[in-house]
Amino acid sequence: MSDTRAAQVSVLGAGNWGTTIAHLIGQNGFTVKLWARKQELADEINQLRRNSRYISGLEGVQLSANIVATASLAEAVRGVPLVFIVIPSQAFRSVCEQLGELVEPSQLAVHATKGLELGTYKRMTEIMLEETCLRRIGVLSGPNIAREMIEGKPAGTVVASRFPRVIELARAHLKSRQLRVYANTDVVGVELGGTLKNIIAIAAGMATQMQLGENAKSLLITRGLSEVARLGVALGADPMTFSGLAGIGDLMVTCASPISRNHRVGAALARGMNLTEAINSLGMVAEGVKASKIAFELTNQLNIRSPLIHGVYRVVHEGLDPRAALSELMDAAVQDDIDPSLVRAANGSPPRGPHGG
Amino acid sequence: MLSADEVAKLVSEVTERVIMRVGSPSDDPAAGPPRTLGETLDETLWWEQERLREQDPNDEETLADKQFYADLHRQLQHANALEQRRLLQQIVHRYTHEIAGNFSPTVYKLAAKVAPPMLSALLTGLSPRRLFGREAIPRLDQHVIIEGEVDNLERLRERGTLVVTPTHSSNLDSLLIGFAVHELGLPPLTYGAGLSLFRNPIVGKFMHNLGAYTVDRRKRDPLYKQTLKAFASVSLEFGQDNLFFPGGSRSRSGAIERGLKKGLLGCSVSAYRNNLMRGKPNPDIYVVPCTISYPLVLEASTLIEDWLAEVGKSRYIIVDDEFSRWERWLDFLRGMFALDLKIHIRFGRAMDPFGNPVDAAGTSLDPKGRPISARGYFEVDGEVVEDPARDAEYTRELERRILAEFSRQNVIHPTHVLAFACFELLRRAQPEFDLYRLLSSIGAGRSEQSLALPEVEEEIELLLEELERRFAAGQIRLSSVVTEAITNDDVAVLLRAALRSFGTYHPKPVVERRGVRLHVCDAKLLFYYRNRLDGYALRDAPALASFTGPGGARHV
Repeated sequence: MSDTRAAQVSVLGAGNWGTTIAHLIGQNGFTVKLWARKQELADEINQLRRNSRYISGLEGVQLSANIVATASLAEAVRGVPLVFIVIPSQAFRSVCEQLGELVEPSQLAVHATKGLELGTYKRMTEIMLEETCLRRIGVLSGPNIAREMIEGKPAGTVVASRFPRVIELARAHLKSRQLRVYANTDVVGVELGGTLKNIIAIAAGMATQMQLGENAKSLLITRGLSEVARLGVALGADPMTFSGLAGIGDLMVTCASPISRNHRVGAALARGMNLTEAINSLGMVAEGVKASKIAFELTNQLNIRSPLIHGVYRVVHEGLDPRAALSELMDAAVQDDIDPSLVRAANGSPPRGPHGG
Repeated sequence: MLSADEVAKLVSEVTERVIMRVGSPSDDPAAGPPRTLGETLDETLWWEQERLREQDPNDEETLADKQFYADLHRQLQHANALEQRRLLQQIVHRYTHEIAGNFSPTVYKLAAKVAPPMLSALLTGLSPRRLFGREAIPRLDQHVIIEGEVDNLERLRERGTLVVTPTHSSNLDSLLIGFAVHELGLPPLTYGAGLSLFRNPIVGKFMHNLGAYTVDRRKRDPLYKQTLKAFASVSLEFGQDNLFFPGGSRSRSGAIERGLKKGLLGCSVSAYRNNLMRGKPNPDIYVVPCTISYPLVLEASTLIEDWLAEVGKSRYIIVDDEFSRWERWLDFLRGMFALDLKIHIRFGRAMDPFGNPVDAAGTSLDPKGRPISARGYFEVDGEVVEDPARDAEYTRELERRILAEFSRQNVIHPTHVLAFACFELLRRAQPEFDLYRLLSSIGAGRSEQSLALPEVEEEIELLLEELERRFAAGQIRLSSVVTEAITNDDVAVLLRAALRSFGTYHPKPVVERRGVRLHVCDAKLLFYYRNRLDGYALRDAPALASFTGPGGARHV
């Protein structure tokens, strides 16, 4: 352990992804504080260099010795110039509430949480702004399967912020020969890309289970991305972001990987389970289940055509048979390959619709 | 007010700052790559000569300007880098002097002697006996309600520097703010006034009293704009309390501002940063959003015509409007006084330059009301540092928060409610019409459009229900008549007040009652007054923005 050097960075949340981020930073030679809710987990990380609850079965992989785990949020946060927040979306606000008592305007923060708040549809950066004095904030997102990254496999990721200093500092801690860190200023797009792709992943899981073939999967991913981008643009995102790592990049990995939770939920539903059974078989809620509900409500509110998202919603939340959903999709009217609203947005004119103009 | 010595210092500081800037990247990301010294000079020459071509060739000022630029052009031909710098200095110095021209302390002192407390004097001056005949001379202070968060202003002013940022509907605004500031016992605010105001036959000679400096909107040279911005920044850093209309110009549509000029707004951020970096005592800058809500607007007709004429490409500089015509002023004031109408000046919560609210002692508060040290937003490793991209982002957030405060502090008058209700009924009756077709279908000199009174009353009732909810949630403010109508469930009182107002000042009544029907006699003004309630999503009405094509309009 390198307690002698005061940590200049901390990671809040010692789940699968939070621990991985701390490990990557630690491996780059930085002392990094890692906040775990439970003291036992903090102890395990400090003493055994292991996180058996979230990261297991990796033979011979020891967590970086530069990680200093703590169960005290205050200790993790105070006086640290850069904070990564990696808390599941449903607990994000409550952690931010506690954070509000601890942080100062001089601190920078990047969250790596995919999801929107249920009921309010708020993005995680919006919650940070509402609950804390933090302003120089950003988001980390991209095609990053934690397990592969712990194994030292190469990957790319995106840090988006309106503040160059946030990107600079986050990149300085994260970048390595294993990880390329790309910059973006479109915070909204990067947050939405990471969230909405989970819905398409559920559909991909169904398609795999139903053995629809690779053509169908490609059709699904591409049209899915188009829907994600349409909704994103209506919510203020830059359409180009969806062609980057946090858009198509993340969507590809989620749809390709059969171990992703969303993929597994889709597969379970296609096997004839209902949502409760699917969730029980998984042991946790997949982000796409929530996201499909939020996206369904939003697209209705904003009057955005999104047959695929609606199909997933109806299968997941209304018990529609996936086969019926598929045939509806295949029978629906065919539109332009590239949606006119995206062409307009890409050409720099503002989106039309109830909120545009 | 500044002493002569301080003005000289201000001028030299501004000059120095602008010159330092040339050749270095701008704070404004939209400004593109930095220009060289030579390019900057060429640009100034081009813009200024372009401007002078359109001026009256016999005007003395124009002649002097032409001479100056002809000389400049000649000298520029063979100038080396050193001489170029000297020429640039000359131009900036000239600009700065012109801007500060009306800032002269001697002029101020003289004017202050001749016409103390400036606005009361102006307004008594405005209502001379010969104009009002035997009517009693009205007093404006009884028709202007100053309200909101005014208690802390004095204390904040002692602790730091104020930047008052009001909504902008009328050229009367700056006079009213001057009046309000005087009533509150605060010294005059420094304020950039359009040249046309100085030349206005009615108020021109009072402008000096308002602490005004000159803004010549005809000058489109980027260097001039830079000089103006530096002037505002430096005067803030000198501790001069400022008044900016952050929307840039009067709202053409009648709606509350939807976007602000970031250049000027950014001065609050950069002034605070510079104050901290230079270790100034009392470095704080407090931004005070403020709304000015009129039951009737003096220039309403001209403004809405301009908005409609070419949405998005309005003329920008209007010099020949109601504001320069005595008889319009007189009618306006007569109407205000006869009907006992009230103009509301409502001060919102003071903010730091990042848009965080501040408490009575000037301490910044986080979203949950906890005290924070705002200087931290500028810090890297404990040091305050410059970072234009960062500050542009802070300015954007400041804009967002000022706009939100405008929306919350907007005071709704009966005229707005009636106009909204009538317009909504007419729009719903012709859902397939676009705005222009809708407006031309109502009145437009040919047939007036009439509405059944009960139908309007019902619409008003529903609208009031929604307004009451929004008021209770702190999202909007209501004038006393509107509140009365809600409390007593009495639409008639509101309708009566609105109809009387609409019948008094505008050449044609906007809406008029004939028997059991209401006639809309001026569709454009109906639309103008309706727009004050735009953006609250009332009665599921489409937003103003959706009426305009791509490109949009200013203030939309």
